[in-house]
Amino acid sequence: MYTLLSGLYKYIVQKEEYYIIILGLDNAGKTTFLEKVKSIFLGIPGLTPEKIAPTVGLNVGKIEYENAKINFWDLGGQKELQKLWKEYYNECHGIAFIVDSVDKERIEECKRTFENIISDDSIEGVPVLMLANKQDSPNALKVEEIKEIFTQIAMYIGARDSTVLPISALTGKGVKEAVEWLILRMKRNKENRPPVYKS
Amino acid sequence: MGQIFSGLLNRLWGSKEVRILILGLDGAGKTTILYRLQIGEVVTTIPTIGFNVETVNYKNIKFQVWDLGGQTSIRPYWRCYYTNTDAIIYVVDSVDKDRIATSKEELIAMLDEEELKDAALLVFANKQDMEGAMSVMDVSNALGLSLLKNRTWTIFKCSAVTGEGLTEGMDWLVNTIEGKK
Repeated sequence: MYTLLSGLYKYIVQKEEYYIIILGLDNAGKTTFLEKVKSIFLGIPGLTPEKIAPTVGLNVGKIEYENAKINFWDLGGQKELQKLWKEYYNECHGIAFIVDSVDKERIEECKRTFENIISDDSIEGVPVLMLANKQDSPNALKVEEIKEIFTQIAMYIGARDSTVLPISALTGKGVKEAVEWLILRMKRNKENRPPVYKS
Repeated sequence: MGQIFSGLLNRLWGSKEVRILILGLDGAGKTTILYRLQIGEVVTTIPTIGFNVETVNYKNIKFQVWDLGGQTSIRPYWRCYYTNTDAIIYVVDSVDKDRIATSKEELIAMLDEEELKDAALLVFANKQDMEGAMSVMDVSNALGLSLLKNRTWTIFKCSAVTGEGLTEGMDWLVNTIEGKK
C-alpha cells in the first residue's frame, strides 16, 4: 500500500526533466542562442552578444515549460573541444545544431561535423533541430538553401524527428518557436528516451 | 594590472553582495592571484597551514581563499562559507603532475556540496610561465571537467606571476555573474 501511494505521490509531484545539447561550429552563435532562450523564457536580461567570449567549457541553462524542466548544455565549438560533445550524447533528449548561415566558406566543415554527430549510435532516434542562425543578416543562406546542402547526408538522420528552422539569436526572431518545436518532439520521443524524473 | 581588475569588478557594483571562493591545493597560487587582482604586484606568500581563510572585500564583492587538501577534520566548518556563493575560482598548479589527481578529488568532493550547486566555476591552469606545464586541455582532462554537467564552467591558462590570462578569466567570471543576477 505504501509503495502504491508513494508511487502515486511521486507521479503527481515529480517533474519530467529533459536535456538539450546545443552543438555547432565555433562562432555559430550557440551561447547567444542560449542567452536569448534564457531571456525569453525566464525574463532575465541574459548576456548581451558583445559580452560573450568563445566558450571553453560548458554553459548551462534551465527553463520550465508546461510543467517540464528543460535543461540546456551549451558546449564549446572549437575543433579541440568537439571531442567533449559525445560525453553528453547518452544523457541528452534533443539536439539543437546551430549553423552560421552567413559563413558559406565553412559550410562543408559544418556538414561534416553534423554528419559525425548524427551518425553516432548513442543518439540514434534523438530528435534533431537544425537552426539556420544569423537570419538577420542580408547575406544569410535561406532555410531552403541550407536544407539543400544538408540533404546529401539525410540518410544518417534516419527516421527520427528533424527539421531546419530559421532564427536570429541576435534579435530573438524564431527562437521561441524553435525551442517549442524541440520540446514537443522530445516529449513524443519519451518512450525511446525517457525523461529524468525529479521532484 | 590592479586597475584593470578594479574596472572589471566595478561592473558588479550595485548588484547585491557577490561571493567568490578561490580554492585549490596548497601552493597552487591562489593567494598570488588574489593579490594580483587587488594590488597588481606579486606578493610572496607563506603556504597556509591549518585552517586559514583569507578574506578580501572589494566594494560589495567578497573573495575568500582557502586551501583544499588534507584537513578533513575541519571540513564541516567550510560549509558556513558556502552559502550564497556566486562563483568558484579553482586554481591548479599545471606543473604539479603528481598531485593533479588529488586536485581532481578535492574539486569533485567540494562541488558535491548542495549549497554550491548554482555556483559557476572558473578553473585557472596556473603557472603556465614554467617549463613542463601541462596544457589547458590536459589539465581539463585530468580534472574530469567534462563530467560536470549541471554547472556553467570554463578553464583558462594563466600565470599569476606574469599576469597572463587573468583578465580573460576574470572577464568571463564578471560576465557570468552579471548574467545570472
